[in-house]
Amino acid sequence: MTKNFEKINDSLIKRQKSEKNFKLFGLIGIICAISFLIIILTSIIIEGKKAFVSTYIKLDVFFDSKIIDPDNTKEDSVIKSANFNEIITKSILENFPEVTDRKEKIKLSTFISSSAEDELIKLIILDKALIDQKKELWLLASSTIDVIHKNPDMLNFPEDERLIDDKELKWFQWFLSEEKIKFSANKNFFSNADSTEPEQAGIWGAFVGSFLTLFVTLILSFPIAVAAGVFLEELAPKNKFTDFIEVNINNLAAVPSIIFGLLGLAIFLNVMHLPRSAPIVGGMVLALMTLPTIIIATRASLRAVPPSIREAAIGLGATKFQTVTHHVLPLSMPGISTGTIIGMSQALGESAPLLMIGMVAFIVDSPGSIFDSATVLPVQIYLWKSTAARGFVELTAAGVMVLLSFLVLMNAIAVYVRYKFEKKW
Amino acid sequence: MQKNKIEAKKVSVFYNDKKALNEITLSIPEKKVTSLIGPSGCGKSTFLRCINRMNDTIEGCSMTGRILIDNKDINEKSLDPVLLRARVGMVFQKPNPFPKSIFENVAYGPKIHGLTQSSDELNELVEESLKKAGLFSEIKDRIHEPGTSLSGGQQQRLCIARAISISPEIILMDEPCSALDPIATAKIEELIDELAHNFTIVIVTHSMQQAARVSKQTAFFHMGNLIEVGKTDSIFSNPSEKKTQDYITGKIG
Ligand SMILES: Nc1ncnc2c1ncn2[C@@H]1O[C@H](COP(=O)(O)OP(=O)(O)O)[C@@H](O)[C@H]1O
Ligand SMILES: [Mg+2]
Repeated sequence: MTKNFEKINDSLIKRQKSEKNFKLFGLIGIICAISFLIIILTSIIIEGKKAFVSTYIKLDVFFDSKIIDPDNTKEDSVIKSANFNEIITKSILENFPEVTDRKEKIKLSTFISSSAEDELIKLIILDKALIDQKKELWLLASSTIDVIHKNPDMLNFPEDERLIDDKELKWFQWFLSEEKIKFSANKNFFSNADSTEPEQAGIWGAFVGSFLTLFVTLILSFPIAVAAGVFLEELAPKNKFTDFIEVNINNLAAVPSIIFGLLGLAIFLNVMHLPRSAPIVGGMVLALMTLPTIIIATRASLRAVPPSIREAAIGLGATKFQTVTHHVLPLSMPGISTGTIIGMSQALGESAPLLMIGMVAFIVDSPGSIFDSATVLPVQIYLWKSTAARGFVELTAAGVMVLLSFLVLMNAIAVYVRYKFEKKW
Repeated sequence: MQKNKIEAKKVSVFYNDKKALNEITLSIPEKKVTSLIGPSGCGKSTFLRCINRMNDTIEGCSMTGRILIDNKDINEKSLDPVLLRARVGMVFQKPNPFPKSIFENVAYGPKIHGLTQSSDELNELVEESLKKAGLFSEIKDRIHEPGTSLSGGQQQRLCIARAISISPEIILMDEPCSALDPIATAKIEELIDELAHNFTIVIVTHSMQQAARVSKQTAFFHMGNLIEVGKTDSIFSNPSEKKTQDYITGKIG
C-alpha cells in the first residue's frame, strides 16, 4: 500500500505539471485573441468616430432677390432653379475683399459643400420672408476642409502633400481664428445613401439595403430549412437516399459563397429575369447560402430533445406529426433560432455573392422596396475603401462600426433567445 | 372463469438480426396486475413495448407471432397503432412529464383525441384523473405550475394521471419505481392496487418484493425466454423451475 502511495504521489506531480502547462497555453491563446481584438477595434473606432461629426462654416448669407427671384414670383420652381452657388460664393467672398482673381474665387467657393445649396433652397421655400434678408448660417464644409479640420497635423505638411495650397491654408486659418468653423453632428451619415462627395455620403441606404436583403433571406430560408430539417430528422426513412441528401447538405454548408452568387446570376437574373442589384435577388442568393446552416442547426436541436418526451407523446397516442409539432419542435426552437440568427449574421457580412448579382452599383437613393436597386453594408464598405478621395477613409471605418454593431446586436439577440426560451426537462 | 385480456402467442422480437425475445406465449388476465421479472437485459421491456407497439418506432425492430387484445390481433394492418395506444397506456421508467404545466400534461391526451367538448368538461376530467392518481390533494393549488417542478414520485404519479386521462383499458408500467425513494415507491404501489379495480396492469419490476406485493400473476423471463408464469404466491414460494429458484434466491441476477 505504501508502495502504491509513492507511485501515485510521483505521477501526481507530473500530472499537475501538465495541467499547469495546459492552463498557461490556454491563457496565452486568450490573451493573444483579446489583444488582436482590441487593436482592431481601437483602430477602427479612432478612425471611424471622426465620421460621426462634420465641419460647418459660419457665413452671413444674403438672400439676394436679384439672384433668387428677380421677377418676384415667389414660385417654388423659380426658387429651385435659382443659382444658389452664387449666393454662397458671394457670402464667402465678403470675408475676403482682397480676393479678386477668378480662380481664387472658385477655390474659396469650394470651401462649402455643394449640398449647402439644397439646404438654402429648403430654407427659402419654407420661409419666403427671408428673401432680401441677411442671415447668419452654419453651412456644411466640403470634404477637403473637413479632412484638414479633423487632422490638424496636416497643417504643418509641405504644400504638395497637403490637400490645400498655401492660400487656402491662410483662409482656413482665418476661419479658425475667427471661430467661424466648428464640428457638429454628421446628419448625412445616418440619413443619406452613397454619394460622390464624402461629406454627403451616408450609410443609411446600405443599412436599408442590408435590412431588406436579410428580410428576404429570413422569410425564404427559415421555413424551408426548418421544414427540411424536421422532415429529414423525424419523418424521412433512414436509407441510402436520405444519407446522400444529408452528406450533400453538409457539403453545401462548405461551398464558397461566391458560387451561390454565380448561381444567382445564372438563374435568378439570366433565366428568371429578376431585377438586377435588388434585395429580392440578394436575399434569394443569401437564402441558398443560409439554408444548410439552419437545416444543420434544426437537426442538431431536434436530436437534443430527449427521447423520453417523444415516448411520452407517442405512448399517449399522439401521431408522429403531433409529437413533433406539439413537443419536439417547440423544445428545439431556442436552438433553431440561435442557428438562424447565426446564419443571418453570416449573411449580413457577406459581400462576394452580392457582387455577382450587381449589388455593387453606385446608388444614391435608399431603396424603398425589395425590388429597388440597393447595396448592402459590407459592399458599401468595400466601395468606400476602394474610392480614392481622402474623405472616404473615415467613412469606411464608420461603416465598419455600423456593420459590427449590427452583428453584435444580432448575436446578443441570439444569446438572449437561448437564455430566455431554454427549458429544463 | 378468469377472462384473459391479452394473449401473446409465440412472440419473438428481433433488433436487426439479434433475437431479443424467443417465442413467448403468455396470457394476461383482465383487471389484475401481472408483473414481469427477470435479470437485466432479459427482454421484459421489449415484451411490454410489443403490447402497445412502441417497438414500431425503433428502427430495425421486428416481431413475429401474434398478440391479441380482446381476441383481436393488434398487429393487423387495419389497426392504427395510434388507436391501440389510446387503449393501452404506458408509464415509463424515468418520470417524463412534458415541460409544460401540470394541467397541460394531463389535458394533452384528451385534447389530441378530442375526448371533451368544453373546457369545463376538460377541467373536470383533469381533476378526476389527478384524483385517481392520488396527486390532486397535493398539488391542487399549483395546477398551472410546470410538471417538471414536482418531486420524482409526484412526477411519476403525474405520468400515471396523464396515462389514465384517456381511460385506457390496459396500463403498461416499465419499472415505474426504479428512480424513486421507498416512500414514493410505497405510494405508487398503493396506487397500483387501487387502479387494478378498473385497469388491466402489466408491470415490469426488478424488485421481487414489489412483484410479490402488487401482482396476482408473475412471469419470469430469462435471456429472452419465458421460463415460468403463474400465481405470484406460488412462483415465490414454490417455483417449479430451477432458474426461477436461482433468481429469487439471488443466485442469478
Ligand atoms: N433499441 C434497441 N436496439 C437494439 N437492441 C436492443 C434495444 N433495446 C433492447 N435491446 C436488447 O434487447 C435485449 C432485451 O432488452 P430489454 O427488453 O430492454 O431488457 P430488460 O428490460 O429486461 O432489461 C437486450 O439484450 C438489449 O440489449
Ligand atoms: Mg427494461
